[in-house]
Amino acid sequence: MDMLIAPERLELAEAVRDYLAGTHGPEVLRRLDAGPNRDPALWQGLVEMGLTGLLVPEAHGGLGMGLLDAALIARECGRVCLAEPLVESAFVATPWLIAQGQTGDLAAVVAGEHRPLAAHGINGWVADGEGEPLASIDPLRRLAALHEAPSDDPLLLDLGALMSAAQLVGLAEAMLDQAVEYAKIRTQFGQPVGAFQAIKHKLADVAVALEFARPVLWRAAQALDDRAASASLHVSHAKVVATDAAYLAAESAIQVHGAMGYTYEVDLHFWMKRAWALGGAWGSRASHLARIDTAVIGAAHPIGPENTFA
Amino acid sequence: MQLAYTEQQQAFRAEVREWLAANVPPAPLLTLECEEGYHQHVGWERQLASGNWGMVTWPETYGGRGLDLIEWLIFEEEYWGAGAPLRVNQNGIFLLGPTIMEYGTPEQKARFLTPMAAGEVIWAQAWSEPGAGSDMAAIKTTAYRDGDHYVINGQKTWSSRASFADWGFGLFRTEEGSQRHKGLSFILFDLDTPGITRRPIRQLHGHPGFAELFFDDVRVPVDNRLAGEGEGWSVAMATAGFERGLMLRSPGRFQAAARRLVELFRQHEAAAAPSAREAVMRAWMDAQAYAYNTYAVAAKIMAGGKIGAEASLNKIFWSELDRAMHRTAMQLLGAAAELRALADGSINEWLEGYMFSLSGPIYAGSNEIQRNITAERLLGLPRVGAG
Ligand SMILES: Cc1cc2nc3c(=O)[nH]c(=O)nc-3n(C[C@H](O)[C@H](O)[C@H](O)COP(=O)(O)OP(=O)(O)OC[C@H]3O[C@@H](n4cnc5c(N)ncnc54)[C@H](O)[C@@H]3O)c2cc1C
Repeated sequence: MDMLIAPERLELAEAVRDYLAGTHGPEVLRRLDAGPNRDPALWQGLVEMGLTGLLVPEAHGGLGMGLLDAALIARECGRVCLAEPLVESAFVATPWLIAQGQTGDLAAVVAGEHRPLAAHGINGWVADGEGEPLASIDPLRRLAALHEAPSDDPLLLDLGALMSAAQLVGLAEAMLDQAVEYAKIRTQFGQPVGAFQAIKHKLADVAVALEFARPVLWRAAQALDDRAASASLHVSHAKVVATDAAYLAAESAIQVHGAMGYTYEVDLHFWMKRAWALGGAWGSRASHLARIDTAVIGAAHPIGPENTFA
Repeated sequence: MQLAYTEQQQAFRAEVREWLAANVPPAPLLTLECEEGYHQHVGWERQLASGNWGMVTWPETYGGRGLDLIEWLIFEEEYWGAGAPLRVNQNGIFLLGPTIMEYGTPEQKARFLTPMAAGEVIWAQAWSEPGAGSDMAAIKTTAYRDGDHYVINGQKTWSSRASFADWGFGLFRTEEGSQRHKGLSFILFDLDTPGITRRPIRQLHGHPGFAELFFDDVRVPVDNRLAGEGEGWSVAMATAGFERGLMLRSPGRFQAAARRLVELFRQHEAAAAPSAREAVMRAWMDAQAYAYNTYAVAAKIMAGGKIGAEASLNKIFWSELDRAMHRTAMQLLGAAAELRALADGSINEWLEGYMFSLSGPIYAGSNEIQRNITAERLLGLPRVGAG
């Protein structure tokens, strides 16, 4: 029994964080939002870090890592509000195709030349898809309506929900950071607004929500990686708490920013909009609660301390 | 990350479960906040000690089993799962014990730890004073040196179970004229020392769970001081860290309550408000999240890490989870919520638990104070009132 993430597993995610901090600042979001929405160099950079092959077995030229590693990186993608569909493609569609034995195109997937996308019936659209565009509140999501019948494979839903949860945690962390920074510099009544307890306590609540969302996420990632019988329950748990944390972070951050937060001029809105998008994607809060209900109240999953890790 | 228990851990769980099944009193004890119940609980502490279950992580020399924190979590899970009694010596074993382990001299360890684990000496905590609650550095009670004794004068309050307990520990001003955090020492004292008057205070539930302590020229040997003279504040902060962190409130307790809440919901499902359903799931989710987090923290500590201000996040989370869970139960009980005993004659544990849960956000440093600590030390926001 060891619920701690080994330090060496955190190294890759830290490298990705450093890389993204250097190449994917808010100015990138603003530029893409104002312009053509795409910058192939961004995708190429992710490919060169090996991220498109993260979950591809080494025999197929990938890094052969697990869903916990992917979740750690998806969190980093959320943290910078990544403008590329890395998570949807490399951490959701790719492992699903591999699980189905569809390994033909993997070399092209690793090379970043082929970007698989997968849609589950729970959504009527796919992010970054070809086809009839749909306008999302998130200007960088590039939604497309589905033409083909989507899959209803529960594994796909779990992968999508888990990776959305991971991004939501990263988004919430970034929104908390932005609000904290702003609260330190904005002065009113002769002091930084962050010295007021009403502001402090709001942000402390976000910190609490995140502190207790992260381990739920890690546990869900590991459960799904192990294909544990209870994996869907844990994924739903992660999706619900990550969505709640992200909504709380967004609402608190905008409040802390005052009217400034209600503009397109501070960057916060990009993160907020991504959070709204991912909060509902891959299963609404209600649909995930329904799965928890079946497991916990409906007794499909034995509960109690001795089953914490069952 | 490796989420399966080892065989050794599973065997340990089985051993604990078996012992508890054979030993946990079949009928609940009276509350430990009344004199008779207190003595019943002391009996239970001694029974635990007879099996060396008093404090499993302590070294065997002090009556423990030398187990690690993961095993302690398993013990606690089984303990609460079996419906075993509250620990009357929680202030001793969970708060003072680890503090002595860290700051005590070898003589103090031998003198205090063994009787503590054996349930022979029950401890009370004496920090608060009428003018020093959240602002603990405002304490006034003095302990001035007279040869190899301190002479204590002043008043402490809200001291849990001090109406009945054997010994107390707290902070006292040992330097004349000192202010705030300076000049304080951490002193242990026998509650029967001449000059100490205990006045029981009834708590919300009607039992004398608190005591006010009056000190009138109370002479306490200098050997009873933990760590150096004037170093009391930092030692007390370590104790407070144990209180907020993982020692005092292990997750098994909340998981056991969440399981009982799910059962209660199943019984009352037909009449339950739509919001109750989500609240019940929330209780399960939060208890699980708390367990995952605690297991991770335990692993971190075992790997040589420390918990600092994160203990404040912990304290906010468990106390509010506990209150929400019991509030939900009260709502599910409906009219029966007011009854002190339920139809089958059993104590209405949900009502007692709800009353107790209301204190969680107050004691161990109120949640407002924990939010300040979180904002200032973890998030780096300016101090309250900083101009
Ligand atoms: C069940 C229970 C058991 C206890 N057991 C013990 C014990 O064994 N030994 C012991 O010494 N003490 C004990 N206490 C006392 C406990 O430590 C204090 O109640 C606690 O520290 C708060 O102090 P107070 O009650 O004086 O509240 P106050 O400090 O008077 O606070 C009143 C309210 O104001 C808020 N407040 C105060 N300062 C601030 C601030 N700076 N910012 C924002 N809000 C603020 C508080 O959060 C609280 O809501 C116990 C309390 C309870 C409820």
